[in-house]
Amino acid sequence: MDWLDDELKRAFERQEPPPDFAARTIARARRRSGLALPRWAVAAAAALVIASAGYGYRWRQGEAAKQQVLLAFRIASTKVNHIQMQVLR
Amino acid sequence: MKIHLLALAAAVVAMAAPQQFQLDLDHLAAKASNAVDLSLTGPTLRFAAKFLDGHDPDEAQIKKLIGGLQGIYIKHFEFKHDNEWTQADLDRVRNQLHAPEWERIVGVKSAEEESNAEIYLHVENGKNTGVAILEAEPRELTVVNIVGPVDLEGLADLGGHFDIPKLTIPKEKKSK
Repeated sequence: MDWLDDELKRAFERQEPPPDFAARTIARARRRSGLALPRWAVAAAAALVIASAGYGYRWRQGEAAKQQVLLAFRIASTKVNHIQMQVLR
Repeated sequence: MKIHLLALAAAVVAMAAPQQFQLDLDHLAAKASNAVDLSLTGPTLRFAAKFLDGHDPDEAQIKKLIGGLQGIYIKHFEFKHDNEWTQADLDRVRNQLHAPEWERIVGVKSAEEESNAEIYLHVENGKNTGVAILEAEPRELTVVNIVGPVDLEGLADLGGHFDIPKLTIPKEKKSK
C-alpha cells in the first residue's frame, strides 16, 4: 500500500498559490458582482448627473426669468394701451 | 459704521442709471390685496431673452423690445378699498421725474374713472433712453420704470397678445 500512501501524499501536498492569486480572485469577484465599474465610467456618470442637475437648475431659472419678463411687458403694455385709449377718448 | 453705510448707499445711487428712479412704495404692499414687485436688471433681461422662442412671433417681439434695455422695474398694487395709497406716495415718485431729463409726453385725468395716468420719457441727446409710466386709480397704483431705449409703439402693439387686452377705439371717436 506504499504506492497509495505516496499518491495521496502527493495529491494533498501543500502548494503555494501564485503571487497574483489574491488580486486575480478579488478582481474576478468584483467583475461578477457587477459593482466594479471602471473609474472613468463612474466619473463620467457623476459628471453627467452634475451637468444634468446644473442644466435643470439653469433651465428653471431661465423659465422663471422669462415669466417675469412676460409679466413685466404684460403690465407695461396694458398700461400704455389703457392710457392711449383714454387719450383718444 | 453709519457713515460707511451712507457712503455705500450713495455709491449705489450714483452707480444706478439716471433713467432709474426710486420706487419707494414698499409700505403699500402690506395694505394691498394684490401686489407685483418686479426688478429685472440688464443681465436678468438678457438671460431671460435666451429662453424666449424666436420662432414664436409674440415672444420674438418681446425679444426685440428687450434688446438694449438695462432694466425694468415695476410696482403694481391693487387694493380692496379706496384711498389706501396717498397722493404723497405718488408725488415721491413724480418728483424725481423732472425736466430737462424727463419729459412728460402724456398726462390724462379721467373724472369718469377717477384715474390719473402719465407717461414720461427720459431723453438724452435727443434720444429716448427710458420711460416712466404712472397710473393711479382709487383701488390701483402702478409705476413702471423701463431703463433703456423703449419702443413705445412696439410696447402698445403687444396688446392682444400674452393675455394683454387689446383696447380698440370706437370708430366715430377714432376719426375725430
